[in-house]
Amino acid sequence: MAGHAVEHDYHLIPPSPWPLLSGIAALIWGFGMVVFFAGLQPRTGESPMMEWFFSKGLDSLQDSYRPVADKVGADGGWFFLVAGSIFAAYVMWSWWKDVAAESRAGDHTPVVDIGLRYGMIMFIMQEAMFFVGWFWMFFELGLFHKMRAGWDTAILENAPAYADSMAPGIHAINPWNLPLMNTVVLLLSGTTVTWAHHALIHNDRKGAKWGLGLTVLLGVFFTFLQGVEYLEAFHGRAEGEPWLSTDAYGSAFFMATGFHGLHVLIGTIFLAVMYLRLMKGGLRPEKHFGLEAAAWYWHFVDVVWLFLFAFVYIIFGYSLHG
Amino acid sequence: MVALPGENTPPATSSYDDDGKPGFFARWFYSTNHKDIGTLYLIFAIISGLIGGFLSFMMRMELAQPGIDFFQNEHQYLVYVSMHGLIMIFFMVMPAVIGGFGNWFVPIMIGAPDMAFPRMNNLSFWLLPTALICLLISFVVPGNANGNGFGGSWVMYPPLSTTGHPGPAFDFIIIGLLAAGFSSIFGAINFITTILNMRAPGMTMHKMPLFAWSVLVTAFLLLLALPVLAASLFMLFTDRIPGGTGFFDPARGGDPQMFQHLFWFFGHPEVYIMILPAFGIVSHIVSTFSKKPIFGYLGMAYAMVAIGVVGFVVWAHHMYTVGMDVNLKAYFLAATLVIAVPTGVKIFSWLATMWGGSIRYSIPMQWALAFIFLFVVGGVTGVMLANAGVDAYLHDTYYVVAHFHYVLSMGAVFGIFAGFYYWFGKMFGVQYNKWLAGAHFWLFFVGVNVIFFPQHFLGLNGMPRRYVDYPEEFAIWNQVSSMGAWITLAGVAFFFLMLIEALILNRKRVGDNYWGEGATTLEWTLSSPPPYHQFNTLPRIEETDGH
Amino acid sequence: MRSKNTVIALIVAVVLAVISYMILAFVGLSGERGEGMPVIGGFYLQEAETPVMEELTKVYNLVTYIIAGIVAFVLGLMAFIMIRFREKANPVPSKTTHHVGLEIAWTIAPVLILLWIAVPSMNLLYNQDVIKDTEVTVKAVGNTWNWSYTYPDHENVEEIISNPLDKTQSKAAGKPYLLATDAALVVPVDTNVKVLVTSINNMHSWTVPSFGIKMDAVPGIINETWFRAKREGTFYGQCSEICGIKHYYMPIEVQVVSKADYAKWIANDGSFTTTVAQNNLGSGQTAAQK
Ligand code: HEM
Ligand SMILES: [Cu+2]
Ligand SMILES: [Cu+2]
Repeated sequence: MAGHAVEHDYHLIPPSPWPLLSGIAALIWGFGMVVFFAGLQPRTGESPMMEWFFSKGLDSLQDSYRPVADKVGADGGWFFLVAGSIFAAYVMWSWWKDVAAESRAGDHTPVVDIGLRYGMIMFIMQEAMFFVGWFWMFFELGLFHKMRAGWDTAILENAPAYADSMAPGIHAINPWNLPLMNTVVLLLSGTTVTWAHHALIHNDRKGAKWGLGLTVLLGVFFTFLQGVEYLEAFHGRAEGEPWLSTDAYGSAFFMATGFHGLHVLIGTIFLAVMYLRLMKGGLRPEKHFGLEAAAWYWHFVDVVWLFLFAFVYIIFGYSLHG
Repeated sequence: MVALPGENTPPATSSYDDDGKPGFFARWFYSTNHKDIGTLYLIFAIISGLIGGFLSFMMRMELAQPGIDFFQNEHQYLVYVSMHGLIMIFFMVMPAVIGGFGNWFVPIMIGAPDMAFPRMNNLSFWLLPTALICLLISFVVPGNANGNGFGGSWVMYPPLSTTGHPGPAFDFIIIGLLAAGFSSIFGAINFITTILNMRAPGMTMHKMPLFAWSVLVTAFLLLLALPVLAASLFMLFTDRIPGGTGFFDPARGGDPQMFQHLFWFFGHPEVYIMILPAFGIVSHIVSTFSKKPIFGYLGMAYAMVAIGVVGFVVWAHHMYTVGMDVNLKAYFLAATLVIAVPTGVKIFSWLATMWGGSIRYSIPMQWALAFIFLFVVGGVTGVMLANAGVDAYLHDTYYVVAHFHYVLSMGAVFGIFAGFYYWFGKMFGVQYNKWLAGAHFWLFFVGVNVIFFPQHFLGLNGMPRRYVDYPEEFAIWNQVSSMGAWITLAGVAFFFLMLIEALILNRKRVGDNYWGEGATTLEWTLSSPPPYHQFNTLPRIEETDGH
Repeated sequence: MRSKNTVIALIVAVVLAVISYMILAFVGLSGERGEGMPVIGGFYLQEAETPVMEELTKVYNLVTYIIAGIVAFVLGLMAFIMIRFREKANPVPSKTTHHVGLEIAWTIAPVLILLWIAVPSMNLLYNQDVIKDTEVTVKAVGNTWNWSYTYPDHENVEEIISNPLDKTQSKAAGKPYLLATDAALVVPVDTNVKVLVTSINNMHSWTVPSFGIKMDAVPGIINETWFRAKREGTFYGQCSEICGIKHYYMPIEVQVVSKADYAKWIANDGSFTTTVAQNNLGSGQTAAQK
């Protein structure tokens, strides 16, 4: 570089293609989201665009239910969604590989390490605010919607739709069944990840591997249980009834737990990557911020679940069905 | 694809020139350099500004006289209104102040060689073209039965944005705004980390230049407000899927007003996100051209913090007419008035900085002075609108349009131009032509005032906003307002003439510190433009320096 | 030399502040007031036709006095500083950066000013929002795109569908285009009228500027507001929440009649006798036929 030699410990990074490619991947994926869920033609009215490509709708998903219009989404969306996701996954993988390599090369000096910590804390903060949005919505609907319904039954003929249940056919979930199990699973995984961390600090790599491996397994198990729970929730769905259509409680329930589930998946992947690095001999006792970040994230996901469990499942679940 | 040099080994590829710059493609598309990324942001903001400006110009032409004669139908007008609002906010002002100037000068001002996460920095940038492309696609895909595009205003209230616009146009906007939102969130993380972690030795928080303070506060606002917007956008997205959720569908127990709460919980901090960096820029300019340090530095910094904090608890002053409980309204009234206090502190501190100074009226200073005055005008009408009772008359009238254009189109935009001229030589190494820049300033200044001052009158007389046609009682002032649009257009033309003259034709070089003794922040210790990587040896801030 | 400069600056500043205050106060506080509708080229609030709007006007005036003063003060101060401390007149800048007294002053002073505003403003808010005992209740429903009105207490009065008059129709009726409708909401004078506002699909907002009311029409929610018209006559408003393509084309027309006429109107299942119509107090339709 021009001038004199670099005398600071910050990490200057050479040009990288990944950000640009991420932007492109996001574009493809976003395009797929729209085409998949909306299709390029309006859901009502005519003027179909590119019907030859985006014609069939979400048929495979909901062949028995066509609630609002005939055209819901389009087949073409699959292609873009999958392509975008694969592309994004490839970019992320390569990006993080670079980061890991830089870490090995010693670029993550103490001050850079602190920066990474700040970054991770900030990231978790914004995730927390994301869930604040969902909880806010949930409490509002949970606390006030009866009152609103009482205000006005005259202009809304379908006042019964305000009734306290999820959409027809979608069963309420008993909090002391699978959800309790999931709570235990997550709490347990919180302890195993701490175990892994301590083991690594004391250079007990075997213990670390066990702890981390178990955490990943528990994470997978959680996702599995949640899948079962969703299936059960839908179990009573009668032929021709909506798959997704839900009332207020159901909306908040599925979206809040769904986004939490997504975060569990992300956290599991994060932990799994750390596990791979551990197996390959990465992560040193004195320097393993990747693992710490994954653990922080995992604890965050854990806390969100406790809130979900307490409010969405127990308290409101009871007021609905108990 | 990328060579990974070990620590401190300069990349040995021949594609790097002797300043350490990579080749053209790698430099501009794979950039990890905060200054290059800042430049990209500025270019992006100019392009978006042109698009958004074109839309607003067409709207003004339509409104110049009663009747509907410019647009094919009413829907198209509403599409223009909505896209104008969204593009100006998310793709013009925010990229310019935070992405552009923030990237360029926050690292330099705090004595850091670059941002904390240079690669993520570039991700923030590249998500924006993605987002803008989504918004532009939205123009040409069906919105509802009335035509293409989304005409539900930038606030996107359901049910108009759900059942009212069943076509994919609005889905594209959701995706675009999500991309822009993630861009800003990553940017916020980057700025916070940079500012907290990479200040040069001796640069304590209380010695940090005010622009860095302003970006720090802004970044926190972004970090805490945008995820809520993201959540509400997801809710809209799933509500729009037939057979999807029913958050905002009253027939299923949902609550359409809840969107407004979520939106404005983001939306009010958003207005400070746009104006706080402009505050920071203006502080530096006022101090530089008065040749005096900032008056009441700590008060200035903490006033911004206060504005940021209080900014989170006043959101429902945008919702006085939704039928809220009267006690809630009273609370929001009081909380909103409170914000006027730190804002007043800022205004008076700027004036006190000038007091006793030796003031030079260069172009940036002209913009900054105009900023202060026009922001006061916009601010006091804000005090008017804070009064929930009076707002029953003024809400959703042109009085509001005048108010927020005084703080945005004149506040934020004047701040942007002030910063642009202030740092122009620093960023590009060449100086602008004073006459062209002066013509730009005066035409723009007169133009926007002619556009927006009469809009107060329209609002007082009762004209609601988002109207494509109006009773002829409103014709006179609308006509005046539209004439202002022509003047503004001429001003914008001079801006581009100025750019061409300075960057292509003349290229008059400037020195390191072309503003002289008043300019004391670290960027003035560097060459113009600064070296590709500045501060290979970190600067050391001495005890006596700073404020 | 220096003192002369100061004097000049002071004079300019004071003159500028005074002039700008006068101009601002003039444009903010005077001007023709539309009577129940906007006035050509108007730049002031519409005439107050209800007690609430009267109070609203007072608060508006107070705040305008104050904010015009603030703007004029800042302008004058800026002018003074800009002249007095320009480079030529003041080549050596001072280095003062603190003055605790000043900083406290400009924190306290705004607080006091805001309190001065807040008290009447809060009063207005509560007067406006707390619904008095009302004698008449009407329900306004926003549709895409017109308003319809019902009288929940009088089942005999049919729902009034209030469609906008197009250009030729309004001309024929001698009414303002984009404000006039073919069927107005009819209410009695000097009576507390409760308005229930709701919507069947998109949001709208039921607004009558000269009454000082604006209430969003939200599907699934019934909002309430009230007014008490001081005189008979016709009063116009326009939808004030974006509701789609015809947002600009769903005006609100309120016809205030004497209590006796109102009683007759109700008894007549919502139509005026001919005599009343001849007095030009007829509903929109009768006026249009004239
Ligand atoms: C100087 C050039 C500008 C002109 C002539 C202009 C003109 C307009 C017009 C005519 C409207 C529509 C008002 C209505 O029908 O309700 C509007 C709305 C708006 N403008 Fe501007 N504008 C300008 C600059 C800006 C800037 C710089 C910003 C922001 C940073 C901005 C932000 C907005 C927003 C947020 C809206 C509201 C959109 C909505 O109602 O959804 N404008 N502008
Ligand atoms: Cu606000
Ligand atoms: Cu409307």
